[in-house]
Amino acid sequence: MFPQPPAFKLHSWTMMAINRYSLQKPVSIAPLISFRIAFGLLMFFSLVRFWWRGWIDTVYVQPKFHFTYWGFEWVKPFGSTGMHVVVAIVVLSTLLIVLGLFYRMATIVFFIGFTYLELIDVTTYLNHYYFISLVAFIMIWLPAGRNYAVDICLNPAKKSTLVPVWTIGIICFQLAVVYIFAGLAKLNADWLLRAEPMRTWLPAKTHLPIVGQYLYQPWVAYLFSWFGAAYDLFIVFFMLNKKTRPVAYCFVIVFHIATAIFFPGIGMFPYVMIVSSLIFFSGSFHEKLLSFFPFYKAQSKTRTSNESIYQYANQRIINFLLVLYIFVQIMIPLRFLLYPDHLFWSEEGYRFSWRVMLMEKSGAAYFTVKDKSTHQSMEVNNAAFLTPLQEKMMSTQPDLILKYAHLLADAYKKREMINPEVYAEVYVVLNGDPSRLLIDSTVNLAAEPLSWKHYTWILPYKKR
Amino acid sequence: MRKKLLVPAMLIFALSGGIFCSKSGNDSNGPVTGNGFDKTAMLTYYADQLIIPGYASLLEKANNFQTLSNTFLAARTPSNQQALLEAYKQLHLQYTRIEGFNLGPAVVAALESYVNFNGGLDYSFATSGELTGFSIDSTTIENNITSGTYNLTLFVRSSFYAQGFSAVNYLFFGPNAIEKFAANTTNRVKYANDVVSRIKLLVDQINASWTSYRANFIGNTKTDVGSPIGNIINNMAYQLDVLKGPRIGWPFGKQSNNTAFPTKVEAYFAGNSAALAQENIRNLKKIFTANDSGKGLYDYLKALNKETLANQVKSQFDVVIAKLEALPDPLSKTISTEPQKVDEAYKEIQKLLTLIKTDVSSATGVQITFMDNDGD
Repeated sequence: MFPQPPAFKLHSWTMMAINRYSLQKPVSIAPLISFRIAFGLLMFFSLVRFWWRGWIDTVYVQPKFHFTYWGFEWVKPFGSTGMHVVVAIVVLSTLLIVLGLFYRMATIVFFIGFTYLELIDVTTYLNHYYFISLVAFIMIWLPAGRNYAVDICLNPAKKSTLVPVWTIGIICFQLAVVYIFAGLAKLNADWLLRAEPMRTWLPAKTHLPIVGQYLYQPWVAYLFSWFGAAYDLFIVFFMLNKKTRPVAYCFVIVFHIATAIFFPGIGMFPYVMIVSSLIFFSGSFHEKLLSFFPFYKAQSKTRTSNESIYQYANQRIINFLLVLYIFVQIMIPLRFLLYPDHLFWSEEGYRFSWRVMLMEKSGAAYFTVKDKSTHQSMEVNNAAFLTPLQEKMMSTQPDLILKYAHLLADAYKKREMINPEVYAEVYVVLNGDPSRLLIDSTVNLAAEPLSWKHYTWILPYKKR
Repeated sequence: MRKKLLVPAMLIFALSGGIFCSKSGNDSNGPVTGNGFDKTAMLTYYADQLIIPGYASLLEKANNFQTLSNTFLAARTPSNQQALLEAYKQLHLQYTRIEGFNLGPAVVAALESYVNFNGGLDYSFATSGELTGFSIDSTTIENNITSGTYNLTLFVRSSFYAQGFSAVNYLFFGPNAIEKFAANTTNRVKYANDVVSRIKLLVDQINASWTSYRANFIGNTKTDVGSPIGNIINNMAYQLDVLKGPRIGWPFGKQSNNTAFPTKVEAYFAGNSAALAQENIRNLKKIFTANDSGKGLYDYLKALNKETLANQVKSQFDVVIAKLEALPDPLSKTISTEPQKVDEAYKEIQKLLTLIKTDVSSATGVQITFMDNDGD
């Protein structure tokens, strides 16, 4: 749907991989400043909302067991008070980021604090939380606190008005990764040819006046699917091009608000993207934007000797780290190619890959613990071990099913079973296909190891 | 370039126009076109044909139960007790006819916890000593009677187990129920009265609330967490979970290596547990089909091009009903005398639960979770 603009110009961030010198091209610091303020404020409201909804308790305190990330099993939650203190510290750091007070320290605290919260439990994984952690990590290294910041009032000598272009380009790159991989992920038969899951989700929104009555129509689902895929694939290029940028940003706003209305439980994601996409705008745009802020002193348009350029001490190391970061960010979403069978079914290599609102999947999992030596057999009451959210997430994701099975084996050992074997009957619905078994119910999961390799006990996905 | 952008731009603005209008416009529902489905008509049917008359009837039966309870407490004869038992069975059966609608005013009043507490789904049936499932807590009840000080409005497990149907079972129909009134009569009569009054009070409150709640209920055709449609489908899954767990499976010994817990069946002393389970599932089917009025979830699924699923669920309901009807009362005995039949019923309940939890929830865009969460 989006034609490639004929006079497409490469933006500086694409140049930087090619030309090492263009990486250092000095540009206005303004985009970084407004990004810092907008990002900080958004995180502030996002965390306050999290607190206000009581999720600190339901997500971190109530669960008796946490699904840990591989290699991060040591990350443990504190008690109720402790978790509230942690979130309070992270909230405080967002305000410091907005103010530009102790900027470096604040970004480090925010990154560590926020990432800690996300590492506690895999079932809380959300693409936009991952995005926030990445951006927070990037921001530690950026001079976004070198102007219009309390730090600069305290120490005016530190003020910079120009920064190397890569400091802005890296955020643009991160957004490009999100959009383009989200777009590529949509290029599958279910999405394009069956208009699933839009076809399932839209009829749930028929309460909306005017548009509501059309949401039962298949052609509307196709329109949403195809438009969504095209949007994700091409929006970045229209945002990079100066001529198309204003119209493209209108698309960004409308598209994300539409996703907030039409998708089930998309949370803060649309707002994160709307705010972050501002980074694509030019220095002069951000100068204008900031001129509406109190006490902001506009920079003169012509460069004078007054301009101070922020410079990194060891640019070679920075260059190396940049290339490494970019490489890793491109490879992680592609790792699914190393696994056999259908990605949506087995979900091996699914996380950290910008697969947002891509499928409708739900499951019901029934576990039985047996002991051959004593001929015992007990059905497991999942609710006794997991919260409703944990159970829901576990029921469709094989690696979490395995982790839970291991937990059950341990728990029943403590209940004086000698050699507990864990079997699971897991029924899953994917994109409207009738429910069927996800994994081999005759395999003793307690004996199956966690692995990066393909789990052979996942039943093969068959097209209907 | 601008021209090439114009077409998609117009498309999205046309769409967004509708979206933004929707935000400001009133939430009325337009006429249904094509293969659409009138969700308001479905909710109206549920409210006017099943819920509101259901609570009116429940109130009537609670009143009748209170009258007969007064008679019994004044003259504690076996014949008065027998009449009271009959009234109680009618009351509890009527309760199972509305428990699939545990939403809105019933949730506000915490009806299920106070009247027919099932112990919660997150409690394991591992040891017999603990209060789990439909246990009867005679210790707390006797302590309350002896001390004469208790607060039945407390929102804690010990309070739930000391009132509602389990307390009615113990006080009126338990072993030597009549004889026990001989000692500490004033306190015991007062306690029995308080338990009965509280059931009536809660039902009264919910019945009255529906007058004003009805408009909210039928006016909200969303399917998100807390919406009427979301609640009905979640409740259907929940009721099947209760059936699979506290009602049948757990007393049968499914969690405990076939060690049965006969005293933990619903309404143990009244002895009509199987009848209650049967009435419960028959009524869930009624909710699903809306009595074949063409306005139920069954018809909604058909409108969503899920005819196969709709019929599959409907026939699975029939299978479960047949399997449960094969279980005679008292269930506390049947679970040990007819384990094969109980096991068959259990398996079929699980199949139905799976259909509701996965296929139906997916098709209707309803999330099965009692927890609101951020998502993407």
